[in-house]
Amino acid sequence: MNVLVLSGYGINCENETLHAFEVVGFKGKIIHINDLIQNPKQLNNYQVFAIPGGFSYGDDTGSGNAMAKKIMTNLYDQLMDFSLKDKLIIGICNGCQILINLGLVPSLNKKDPEVALIENKSGSYECRWVDVKVNNNKSPWLKNISILNLPVAHQEGQFMIPINLFKSIKANNLIGLQYINNQKKLAKGQFPFNPNGSKDDIAALTNQNGNVLAMMPHPERAFYNYHIPNWQSKTLKKFGDGYKIFMNAKKFFA
Amino acid sequence: MTNTIQILSIEKTGKESSLQKEHNNKSIKIIDGYFFSTNLDDQKFTKISKLISNDVSQTILTKKNVNKVLSSYSNFNWVVEIKFLPGVTDNIATTVKEIIKDNLKSSFKSFELGSTKIILIKGRKEDITKISKNEANPLIQTIKIYPFKKYLNNFKKNQFKIEKVKLPKKKYSKKEINLNISDHQLSLIGKLGIEENDKSRRGTLGLDLESLKAIRNYFSTIKRKPTDVEIETLAQTWSEHCKHKIFSAKIDDIQEGIFKKYIKGATEKIIQLRKDNFCVSLFTDNAGGIEFNKDWIICHKVETHNTPSALDPFGGAITGIVGVNRDCLGFGKGAKPIANTYAYYLADPNKKYQLYRQKNKDPMLPANFIAKGIISGVRVGGNCSGIPTPQGNVYFDDRFAGKPLVFCGTVGIIPKKIKGKLSHKKKANPGDIILMAGGRVGKDGIHGATFSSEELDPNSPVSAVQIGDPITQKKMSDVIIRELRDENLYSSITDNGAGGLSSSIGEMAKESGGFIVNLEKIPLKYNGLYPWEIWVSESQERMTLAVPPKNVKKVIKRFNARGVEATIIGKFIKKEKAIVKYNKTEILNLDMEFLHEGYPKLNLKTSFPKIKKEKKKIIKKSSLIDKLHKLLSSPNIVSKEFIATQYDHEVQATSIIKPLQGEGRVFGNATAIKPLFDDEKSIALSQAAYPQYAETNPYDMAGCSIDTAYKNLIVSGANSKKIAILDNFCWCSSDEPDRLYQLKEAAKACYDYAVAYQTPFISGKDSMFNDFKGFDKTGKSVKISIPPTLLISSIGVVDKISHLTKITPDDGDILLVLGNTRNELQDSVYSKIIGYEKSKNPVVNSKDALRTYRNFEKANKLGIINSAIGIDLGGIGIAVTKMAIASKKGLTFDLKLKNKISVDQFLFSETQSRILVSLKKNKLPNFKKIFKASDYTIIGKCTGSDVIEFKDNKKIMRGKISDFAKSYKQNIKGL
Repeated sequence: MNVLVLSGYGINCENETLHAFEVVGFKGKIIHINDLIQNPKQLNNYQVFAIPGGFSYGDDTGSGNAMAKKIMTNLYDQLMDFSLKDKLIIGICNGCQILINLGLVPSLNKKDPEVALIENKSGSYECRWVDVKVNNNKSPWLKNISILNLPVAHQEGQFMIPINLFKSIKANNLIGLQYINNQKKLAKGQFPFNPNGSKDDIAALTNQNGNVLAMMPHPERAFYNYHIPNWQSKTLKKFGDGYKIFMNAKKFFA
Repeated sequence: MTNTIQILSIEKTGKESSLQKEHNNKSIKIIDGYFFSTNLDDQKFTKISKLISNDVSQTILTKKNVNKVLSSYSNFNWVVEIKFLPGVTDNIATTVKEIIKDNLKSSFKSFELGSTKIILIKGRKEDITKISKNEANPLIQTIKIYPFKKYLNNFKKNQFKIEKVKLPKKKYSKKEINLNISDHQLSLIGKLGIEENDKSRRGTLGLDLESLKAIRNYFSTIKRKPTDVEIETLAQTWSEHCKHKIFSAKIDDIQEGIFKKYIKGATEKIIQLRKDNFCVSLFTDNAGGIEFNKDWIICHKVETHNTPSALDPFGGAITGIVGVNRDCLGFGKGAKPIANTYAYYLADPNKKYQLYRQKNKDPMLPANFIAKGIISGVRVGGNCSGIPTPQGNVYFDDRFAGKPLVFCGTVGIIPKKIKGKLSHKKKANPGDIILMAGGRVGKDGIHGATFSSEELDPNSPVSAVQIGDPITQKKMSDVIIRELRDENLYSSITDNGAGGLSSSIGEMAKESGGFIVNLEKIPLKYNGLYPWEIWVSESQERMTLAVPPKNVKKVIKRFNARGVEATIIGKFIKKEKAIVKYNKTEILNLDMEFLHEGYPKLNLKTSFPKIKKEKKKIIKKSSLIDKLHKLLSSPNIVSKEFIATQYDHEVQATSIIKPLQGEGRVFGNATAIKPLFDDEKSIALSQAAYPQYAETNPYDMAGCSIDTAYKNLIVSGANSKKIAILDNFCWCSSDEPDRLYQLKEAAKACYDYAVAYQTPFISGKDSMFNDFKGFDKTGKSVKISIPPTLLISSIGVVDKISHLTKITPDDGDILLVLGNTRNELQDSVYSKIIGYEKSKNPVVNSKDALRTYRNFEKANKLGIINSAIGIDLGGIGIAVTKMAIASKKGLTFDLKLKNKISVDQFLFSETQSRILVSLKKNKLPNFKKIFKASDYTIIGKCTGSDVIEFKDNKKIMRGKISDFAKSYKQNIKGL
């Protein structure tokens, strides 16, 4: 099992993302986008493609846009091909923004982006922990998960979805994760439970096969128990909730 | 054909909402504009606008739709167009250019473009003027206000313009400067700069008469006139900013100066006493390094960026943070930045100070504009670089109205050995190539080093302001840390900060002997820079490397493959000469010895200052609960959560003690990161400064800063043998004997307490003239000096995860105060907010303090302590309330006091070296085995209810935790 973790131009969570995959049993490599463009065939050596969080191109012209355009110009077909195979793709935070801008998620009518991630309703960057739940999604990434406690850290995490498309997203169960409140009910847009005002409390979307997951929260930052806020007051386990996402990737290939 | 692409969000953005709220106007729309130097045909327009916009969330304005689209939002009537002045860093434009180039490849010829923010409103002209004042800074941006009709007209007639840097196209010829002139003429060169042929002056050199005379003498010995480049270089190298002349000067009877005697002296004494390997690299490098574990070194550096932040708060602060990141990259062979720290000392953002740099014109920016700009500058710099920013604080005082203090720090990590060689040792060898990597050189930051050493006055140059570009730096930094360092491809590295190449190459050449640089090789942002400008420019995001010739090709190739420029600009030589050429003409040739040591040493005298008595303020009668609310909501105690949530403190997945602590999210005194996945050791960070104590007693002020910064790490669980500190002195009027007296006293305390606590100083910096000279709104001349501020930053190693403490007690816990409380309310938050009482200033007794700290450390390692919080501003009263807010658990507090001290004195005195702890009841016997009865006071217990109860002999006073939390979490007015 091999994972390719993308880097370059301001992506910055590649080390911890690779670490999380390695701990659950993957072999992996951080590969610079320019090297991948030089030699796209190396994608064949990998089963998982991960776009980590970061600030590619400083979020200029909209978060994820510039990197998505670079991929579209140079790598789109190869990546689309990857997504149509029995392989997994994950985009976390900036990676999520890139996947959405590429249109690889939700990918209902292919090619063009259908969904946008716009500025948080609060107008400010939000670095905080949230609870999210999995709602009837068949994605291998989310199998057997009900609730996750994860951090978000973004300026543009509000999902914006045209009404018609939203209907088909719901009909196809493409909503991966939704923000919930301290009563374990949907946050209904209420801050800070829903940190960005996202429509229908959406925190993650998948494609139809579920093998491509675009999520705003950071599972790699909730990987160990000591990552969790106030872990000293909680019972000691080795791992945090983010671990489950990476384990699911392992189980998919096991 | 059009020359602009303009894009707007279909839905209201967060930014628009906050603008609307701020200005009470429901019709505000913001447009992202891009102005091109060339006309785009329809095909290119469509293609490019698609590349830089989002189909789903945005609309692209065209000549056809502009009227209809905009009128669907509102009946706009005023427009403000904000764009960068020519030559100011425009990061968005850089990205857009890259996207276009990558996509259109060579089908698109070279072009210029500028990003623009266009704000539309429906309202009066006064409203748009007010908005523009809050959204733009005239020092770095052009602001055009015009009616909406004109905007539509501009749109239709392609009348949006970008402004290019206008530079003289005159050819450079070597300029020699005659220094055999009158003292008056000579000092004009120092103050206003070298005179150009048209009689204009280049801007301050910050050289005093004595220095200029030393330069004259040197050149008369070598029998020639100096060139302009030589004088500019000496001005940079000899600036207070680079040479720290005041700290190295003879002062009173201290021959060696206060740096050698007190700061370095303390560290040398400690190293001599400790006999261990804790201190690795001190004072000589860009940052100071200590041992983390057997394989790794950590380094820490804290810088200030005060003057630039006063002029352009956002640019100043972002440059401050990405600049100090480079100090880490330039530590040893290059340390990876793993945490940022910040500390801001600001004027009250709610007040209007109305200060002017010139009579009735050239106003200072409003206090809230400065505060917001600084906070967001560090946010963008830190977040975009992927470096967590967990640790910081903010302090408000009117005396920062003329100059804010912006401290930015970075922690880095580096393996002890790289390919078998010690990583903290580096040496540029004769023959090594000088390679400049990263961004290009422009006019930004010309004279930054010389002017930050001066007071802020009407002649302060605005080209001294730069704006950092974190993404360019991130790209460069990734190549260095991941692809070059561990293969030992270069022999030395340093950053280009203050003084630019003149400083970095000058410093690095000490390792080999000297250097030869060819200035025409340096890549420029735009043509037309004079050689002296290229040489001293402080354009950001550049590192200088010394590369053995055999590796040069490989190194350049690696940089280029990652989209980073790297250029050969000269070589290091053995001969102790500094030589600069421009198109083969030699324009600088100095002896290295004179360059670095030729400046006249100062001889300073101090005198005891008159102490300003604190004005008596009658205490208003109010209840204890009421006083607690007042203190909790006062700006220096109130939660800084709104900053903590803006700064990504989770990136790199190292955060282990976060800035917001407990379920109730209290802003902590210390934070910790666990930098390595395979070692359970953590790095604890804290910082402290007490400018409010400075005028009363600068010695005690410094003692308190060191004590608090040290205490916070002990409380967090750090190993007392693995704590180091950094000193950042921000002083005022350092040419006045009484200010120098305060400086000497503070430095003396640094020695005494550092030696007592065995905490070496590993790095430090000073900024000596934080004064504002200008005018108030009536045109009266005013001088505002900051209170002397010594920021002590502390960094320590926590050996085990189980040693890390929490601030939240559990039900049934006993609450105790470790250390004794004295009546030390002078200059406290209580005396400022509630009222003055006859009292003393806090004085640190290091013997008592160390007993408390050692015992705490022992008890914590044995698992006796359940929770702990350092007691500082607002005393025990605030500490205990914070514990309750954090844990959301009530407690009882027994006010039957054993000492001769009033309730308010006991609760609010800011006596140092005290810790509030909670223990499980059954741990009390073990606790008593460690602590003497006279060293602690049991004050109450945690009840788990929803109230705090204070009991004395007569009555019980209750306050609800949720009410306290509300006071503590109030927004700071004006922010």
